[in-house]
Amino acid sequence: MRNRNATAYRFLAPYLLIFSVFWVWPIISSFMISFQATRTVPWRFAPGFNWGRLIGDPAFFNALKNTLLILVIQVPVMIALAMVMAVLLNSPLLKARGLYRFAFFAPVVVGEVAYSAVFRLMFSLDFGIVNKLLNSVGLPKVDWFSNVTPAMALIMIAVTWRWAGYNAIILLAGMQSIPEDVYEAATLDRVSKLKQFFYITLPLLKPVIVFCLVLSIIGTMQLFTEPFLITERGGPGGGTETLGLLLYRQGFRSLNFGYASAVAYTMAALAIAITLVQLWLTREKQ
Amino acid sequence: MATVTLSNVVKRFGVFEVVHGANIDIKHGEFVVFVGPSGCGKSTLLRMIAGLEDISGGEIAIGGKLVNDVEPADRGIAMVFQSYALYPHMSVEQNLSFGLRMTGNPKADTDRRVKRAAEILRISELMDRRPKKLSGGQRQRVAIGRAIVREPQVFLFDEPLSNLDAELRVQMRVEISRLHKELGATMIYVTHDQTEAMTLADRIVVLRAGHIEQIGRPLDLYDDPDNLFVAGFVGSPKMNFIKAQIVGHDARGVVVELAGQEKTRITQPLAGAAPEAGSKVIVGVRPEHFGSAGEGGTDLVVAIDVVEHLGGTSFLYARTAHGEDVVIQRDAAKVPTTSEVTISIRKSYLFDEKGLRLR
Repeated sequence: MRNRNATAYRFLAPYLLIFSVFWVWPIISSFMISFQATRTVPWRFAPGFNWGRLIGDPAFFNALKNTLLILVIQVPVMIALAMVMAVLLNSPLLKARGLYRFAFFAPVVVGEVAYSAVFRLMFSLDFGIVNKLLNSVGLPKVDWFSNVTPAMALIMIAVTWRWAGYNAIILLAGMQSIPEDVYEAATLDRVSKLKQFFYITLPLLKPVIVFCLVLSIIGTMQLFTEPFLITERGGPGGGTETLGLLLYRQGFRSLNFGYASAVAYTMAALAIAITLVQLWLTREKQ
Repeated sequence: MATVTLSNVVKRFGVFEVVHGANIDIKHGEFVVFVGPSGCGKSTLLRMIAGLEDISGGEIAIGGKLVNDVEPADRGIAMVFQSYALYPHMSVEQNLSFGLRMTGNPKADTDRRVKRAAEILRISELMDRRPKKLSGGQRQRVAIGRAIVREPQVFLFDEPLSNLDAELRVQMRVEISRLHKELGATMIYVTHDQTEAMTLADRIVVLRAGHIEQIGRPLDLYDDPDNLFVAGFVGSPKMNFIKAQIVGHDARGVVVELAGQEKTRITQPLAGAAPEAGSKVIVGVRPEHFGSAGEGGTDLVVAIDVVEHLGGTSFLYARTAHGEDVVIQRDAAKVPTTSEVTISIRKSYLFDEKGLRLR
């Protein structure tokens, strides 16, 4: 048995080596870097330098506030929307289901830069179709890029557009795994379709919903592309700067790798903490 | 009165017709079993009665009221599914009461019905458990309990025992029989297992490829089948079929010669018109209708391949001189020790080439 294990490990060795060098070591290394002052040459060990700065840095708290705001508003809205889409996709009345499924999933496949450019055009103050539509129903134009609240809303709309379909497909797969005869039994029990959704579909989908929530929380904690490309590096004036952007700004523009590492670990710790709370709240109660 | 009447009921899926004009009259309090091989349309027929499948043609009446366009929940029926269809996230108690709670039934009445169902099915001690913590037999009881609390006019069972092991199946069969006596409700039960049909039913409906082959009491089907299919389907081990030919008639009936065995002739009394001499027919003999040499009208030499000892009885798997397989039932004490043995045919059935019974 020991021999067989040794053979297996020899086969695994190339992968484990690459995994260790390019995955495990950077994780350890960046953790160590977070305890170093990296704007001096040579770098020096200063445990409180970056972590101390983090606690008192208004830019960090601004990015944290923005990230959490997106998390609290956008994620629940997106999951609710995904649920509605999944219910519609699951309807036996729907024709050309494959086409809709593809259409809902397509935003994930579209390149981030391309979709960001399209969003910038759509929400442009003077030429954008969104403002034209607002005007056509008698509403005033919105300057989506110059004011903080509309800019934040724009980020949330963009992220929702991109990921709602993806979550809907996951929820749809969960819905389709619920046996049809459970619904037939409920129909015979005189339970209305709406009550079937709330008392059967939702509780049975709970593990899938939690999965979507966890994925979305992790994704939002790392949010970078949309505020970088659509609202131009977290603009206006840092109004849409997320933790991901702060990390990028510190690490790759200011070359302050120590502080960027501390931000990265804070992001990971927050994602883990929020996910654990989420899992605890939705745990199976006996 | 919970009678169920099916008149010329047809079911089509697209252009494909799966039930071809079924006519069945089920009396109040009767236990009727639909039996047949997979794909014969028995479950479809049951689901049409439940309202879970649309009816393509014909009429279904429950309690004298036409229900073709009545919602499933308003038909006064309750159904027990093959997969149990329990709500996995609810306790047994919640499973039983769910339908009543959702429709605003008074709590006191709901509690009374749930308690009664639990007592009838002896599941009172399981009320707080979730389905996944129950054995197959217990889940089936809960599924039946869910039907009982609805206090329906008609119970529908869709192969409810097929997911249980052999021992539990026998036990649950007895329980369902007891339940029928206790509740006195009309029950319609679908199965592919002819033993279940024989042991449970007041009347059996034998189906094949969407056609009703015969309706009758279990022993009537066994003793007096209308055709080759019913004769072969009802009874275990199944009836033996031996190819034969009409060779003439005498005062007692038609004389039949078994294929390839010139000296083996059977005289079969027929009330109706007998086919002409030379017509091909099939002789059906149940395993227990073979006797020792000289016991019946016709003797036959067979070669024994295998003997199965079941305790009190044994089954001899043998071949005729013409190479046809036959199964012979014998008392364990009377099992022959030689590989070739002469047996007699004490009782036989005659079928024409199309498989219809010649009576």
